Amino acid sequence: MDISVLLFYGLSFIVLCFALAVVVSNNPVYSAFYLAITMVSLAFVYFILQAYFIAGVQLIVYAGAVMVLFVMVLMMFDLKKEKDSFSKGRMSNFLKVSSVGWLWGLIAGAIYMSSDLLSMGATLHNKDGVGTTTKDLAKLLYTDYIFAFELLGLLLLLIAVGAVAVSRIKGGTHA
Amino acid sequence: MLNFESLAAIGLNHYLIVSAALFCIGMVGVLVRRNVLVILMSIELMLNAVNLSFVAFSHFSQNINGQVMVFFVMTIAAAEAGVGLAIAVTIFKRFKEVNISFFEQLKG
Repeated sequence: MDISVLLFYGLSFIVLCFALAVVVSNNPVYSAFYLAITMVSLAFVYFILQAYFIAGVQLIVYAGAVMVLFVMVLMMFDLKKEKDSFSKGRMSNFLKVSSVGWLWGLIAGAIYMSSDLLSMGATLHNKDGVGTTTKDLAKLLYTDYIFAFELLGLLLLLIAVGAVAVSRIKGGTHA
Repeated sequence: MLNFESLAAIGLNHYLIVSAALFCIGMVGVLVRRNVLVILMSIELMLNAVNLSFVAFSHFSQNINGQVMVFFVMTIAAAEAGVGLAIAVTIFKRFKEVNISFFEQLKG
């Protein structure tokens, strides 16, 4: 038994358990806390997949910025434990959960059936000779993807202005 | 058939199965919960599941392009969370609750 195998199973177990805890927890503050743990463990998964830059960005952007945003809004709302946190209708909920379970089974079956194809595709290395270090990522980001990168900056500016504009709307259905 | 050798050697399939499970958990959250904040968190879970499969493919095919996509997805996810939380704040100002059923009351 290799250490990386144990690491994979342990980390995926943590990720899936805390993701489930996010969904079933009654208190949104606990949900945010479990989500932060999920993000950090996913960062470790990226780390063992040797995506070091992505792991760092995951820690900073998700476990840092996005979670702080969520927690700030939660503190603003001062939410107590919710009475009806789940949608009503036992039958419809059963249908929803079971159909998502079927979806997972379908995806897992598709992955299992195409495992030969996947392993074949995985051995097809890229022909450009581009490595997988952070330096290569930066080069690609600033050459091939430069237009998308600049657009992303524009989008973030737009979102910053838009979020302020939306949250400044006074109460009432007609602003 | 399930053999233990395939369980011991971690390949692309294992990561994809975990990613699919994470996506489905997020989907259950979006469908079943009523609190807007928890729904937004579940959407983040789904986006993270997609990121995980991108990184797994990128690692096992030694192709860095997948990681660039993950970078973009993360930025879009942060923007989406910002706008979603702003809308949740407006809902809360009006109704003192962040239930998804109040969203039909929103008008321009």
